[in-house]
Amino acid sequence: MSALTNIVSKELRELLTPGTILSVVVVVVMLGILGTALSGEVESTATPSDIGIVYDDTGMYSEQMQDDLAYGYAAVYGTTTDAATDHMIYLTVAETDSDAILQAITDRGLAYVIVIPSALSANIAVEQTTSASVYYIYENSGLFDDVSSSAANSVVYYAANQLSQQLTGEITGEAAAAFLAAPLAASGGTYTQINGTLYSDIAPSTISTSMMSQTLMVPLIVMIVIIMVGSVVISSMGSEKENKTLETLLTVPIRRTTIVTGKLLAAAICGLIYGIAYMIGMLLYMRGLTTATTLDGTADLAAFGLTMTGTDWILLMVLLFLAIFAALGICMILGAFTKNYKMAQTMIMPVSILAIIPMFVFMFMSWDGLGTVGQALMFLIPFTHPMMAMNNLIFGNYTLIAAGAAYLVVFDVIMIWLTVRIYNSDILITGIDQTKTARTLKRLFGKKKHHDDEQ
Amino acid sequence: MEDALVLKDVCKVYGDREAVRNLSFSVQPGKIFGLIGPNGAGKTTTLRMICTILRVTSGTIEVCGHNVMKEGALVRKDISYLPEDAGAYKELTGRTYLKFMARFFSPEKDFDGMMARGLHIANLGDRIDSKVSTYSKGMMRRLLIARAIMPEPKVAIMDEITSGLDVMNAYEIRELVRQIAQAGVTVLISSHNMFEVESLCDRVGMINHGELVLCGTPAELKEQFAARNLEEVFIKAVKA
Repeated sequence: MSALTNIVSKELRELLTPGTILSVVVVVVMLGILGTALSGEVESTATPSDIGIVYDDTGMYSEQMQDDLAYGYAAVYGTTTDAATDHMIYLTVAETDSDAILQAITDRGLAYVIVIPSALSANIAVEQTTSASVYYIYENSGLFDDVSSSAANSVVYYAANQLSQQLTGEITGEAAAAFLAAPLAASGGTYTQINGTLYSDIAPSTISTSMMSQTLMVPLIVMIVIIMVGSVVISSMGSEKENKTLETLLTVPIRRTTIVTGKLLAAAICGLIYGIAYMIGMLLYMRGLTTATTLDGTADLAAFGLTMTGTDWILLMVLLFLAIFAALGICMILGAFTKNYKMAQTMIMPVSILAIIPMFVFMFMSWDGLGTVGQALMFLIPFTHPMMAMNNLIFGNYTLIAAGAAYLVVFDVIMIWLTVRIYNSDILITGIDQTKTARTLKRLFGKKKHHDDEQ
Repeated sequence: MEDALVLKDVCKVYGDREAVRNLSFSVQPGKIFGLIGPNGAGKTTTLRMICTILRVTSGTIEVCGHNVMKEGALVRKDISYLPEDAGAYKELTGRTYLKFMARFFSPEKDFDGMMARGLHIANLGDRIDSKVSTYSKGMMRRLLIARAIMPEPKVAIMDEITSGLDVMNAYEIRELVRQIAQAGVTVLISSHNMFEVESLCDRVGMINHGELVLCGTPAELKEQFAARNLEEVFIKAVKA
């Protein structure tokens, strides 16, 4: 074996420990699961959904328009026109009765409602463009939630094209060309109900884009803070063990609970300071972004009541603190199993993975888009709660906030209890190697090795 | 006079392996007891059980009349432990480290008195205000011994006190241990340095495979094995 091979082989043995390999495998598996979930989300937004049509025209173009709308739907969603007809629900409500239209969206689970004025046939007769309107209810934001906004406009566009082709030849004259270019247009207004209030001239896609630019930052900040603070705590534990300062600390006349609580509190305060600093940075970023992007056509969310109140910010900080405490609890437990500073560096991986998964999920998906299993899994990860808190607080989903806070409190108490138990046990000093299970496993599968403790 | 440290039939089991087996010995107040034995014999495990860091599987350990398993908090008030190759918090200065440790014993013990004693024992001059990370091994050991002695423990437990130190530092530290024993502190040391054990300890116990195989004064042990020094005693005992 050459000197180089010898060194490479030794380094690889040190670097590729079962722990690091396992963490890589977990990341790959989680990314695979995330990819599958995301493809489901994209498919669900692109799959044909029921839409409502308000069209009460008894004129000569009435039936033709209905066929054209089916054609438009089929073109956008890739279905047959027969299937399109099944997904298009004609509502018997007045075209100006926005309350009834919004009620129909809720009751029938419609993606949106297109309102074609009943004057369409009459307008065609006088070569006047008819303006269609679209109604939405904006519920939550996810990266793919704005697909339906563009879909509605496309349905109208394809239907108008079809109508235009059918009218060619029928209508002649000097103004015919201009009229045939757009016998129907989605220019009658876009109405979106947000948090119970109906706003005009705003599409969900605009709201969604603006929301994403703000809510994306929270998961990112939470992830950074948790990994940073967790890393500090685990490294501190590794360092304490390596320097044997922990052994000294355990022999001074204080309770083990005091040592655990002291370490946790200091790190949690440190984490909260990081968190608040990053949040302030984020606020400044948002202020700058709002000024810049409003000019760019995105929405000023405050105008639609989509802002965080002072109480909301406090709730977000409470959740952040509880999540940091949970992270520290996990890190203290993992830190108890480290033998030195180097080992501590790899022990942070499980916490990093637990922080990265919800961050990615909530960057691309909304809570509602997760499905029951996804929601259950995400709920169990303690770092999920501050990550999705901003969205929930803005939309007034306080039940989920309260449930998350309660779960985090329980989780934190269990972590402290477990940590104190470990601090009162031999594992803290001897490591897991000396437990009966570990020794049995080692005897069955591993090489015999003396523990450095047995001097 | 009641013994300061009493071990009776102490066992420590890791899973299915006995690290310490039926260990019994006692140390009188103000005496220095040396624990010797090959690597992996169970010396550190024994010291850690006495210090309440590890749990005793069976048997009893009493420090100044307090049971380590039932009265751990009281035991920790009476002892001071110095692990082998121990370090201090590297970002602290020597003085702040001593202050940090002294606060755990205050107000029951006089903080200023502890600090004065700690600074005197450490004897680091101006370097007491330097960061611990800049200390040499000898300076570090002096600081840690100062930390261990400053609260005036009834029992001082020290693992390999002079390991890795040069002749001067090792000599100074041995003198320090003698002085604290003369002041009435009971000292339990573990060491591989047979010269150190022979010159320092009033009594010596030898552990092998977790069992106490020898116990007595250095003179008694040398006579028993017809050996010139404790090193020969050690070798003959291990081979036997």
